[in-house]
Amino acid sequence: MTKRIIASIIATTLFLMAIYIVYTGAITPMDILLGLVGSSIIASFTADMLLRNPNKLIDVRRWLYFLAYAFIYLTVIELKAHLQVVKIILHPKTPVNPSIVRIPYEVTSDYAKTTIANSITNTPGTVVVDIDDIRKVFYVHWINAKSIEDREARKHVSSTFEKYAKKIFD
Amino acid sequence: MILEVIGWIGISLLAIGALMDVIAAIGINKFKNFYLRLHAATVGIIGGAFYPLLGLGLLSLSLEQLGVIRFYIAGISFTSAFFVLITAPVGSHILARAAHRVGVMPEPIGVDRLKEDREKGVFK
Repeated sequence: MTKRIIASIIATTLFLMAIYIVYTGAITPMDILLGLVGSSIIASFTADMLLRNPNKLIDVRRWLYFLAYAFIYLTVIELKAHLQVVKIILHPKTPVNPSIVRIPYEVTSDYAKTTIANSITNTPGTVVVDIDDIRKVFYVHWINAKSIEDREARKHVSSTFEKYAKKIFD
Repeated sequence: MILEVIGWIGISLLAIGALMDVIAAIGINKFKNFYLRLHAATVGIIGGAFYPLLGLGLLSLSLEQLGVIRFYIAGISFTSAFFVLITAPVGSHILARAAHRVGVMPEPIGVDRLKEDREKGVFK
């Protein structure tokens, strides 16, 4: 057992423990004991898959960027995207201009890729249809395509997500 | 005072959620093909499930007469909201990918880069 694996197991245990405590909403000794036993068993199986570099977890700057991103994403970006799609739905003619465009990305870690893809799919109006890992592009179905050129489309769809994902996970 | 504000934020999030669910249902009926309907479904997932769950959690935290039960409700609401946020897009993405692979093409469409790249053989 190397130091890296022990650190990953501890970090995963703490994360699962936090979910368990928030989910049950109680802090009796029984809850803590059960949570600790359950999450350490699960963590010992999965920590190696989940964390390659546990040092990133204690980097405060990444957490601050994560909080900033969560706040901006859940308020401004989601609101704008919802309004756009709601306007299309309630318009009598439902004016759509759909296209499947290529969105290039430059991040390397799996977590960052997942974050970008999930962010794109979670904003109404864009859905990731497929991903090419070799040429590093997402294929995105866009309900109101403002541009069909790769770089131009990326500016509209994923530039903010990518900026934050790179700082948080890469 | 603060509890009241939290409670009202929770209630308004729940109201927004109900509205978004109705609009998503209208959208599902109005759109013409599978891919467009996915966008309406996303409105129903994020606007109609994620935000109301957050609102439910905040609302229950503000109700002191519930006693200790309010922490159970809030905890379950917040964790459910978190898992909806990270798992729902996986479902949308897998449905879209499978549909495109078996040949359900989006119609009408401006450009379809994925189909072009498949036909050129750049991407399998």
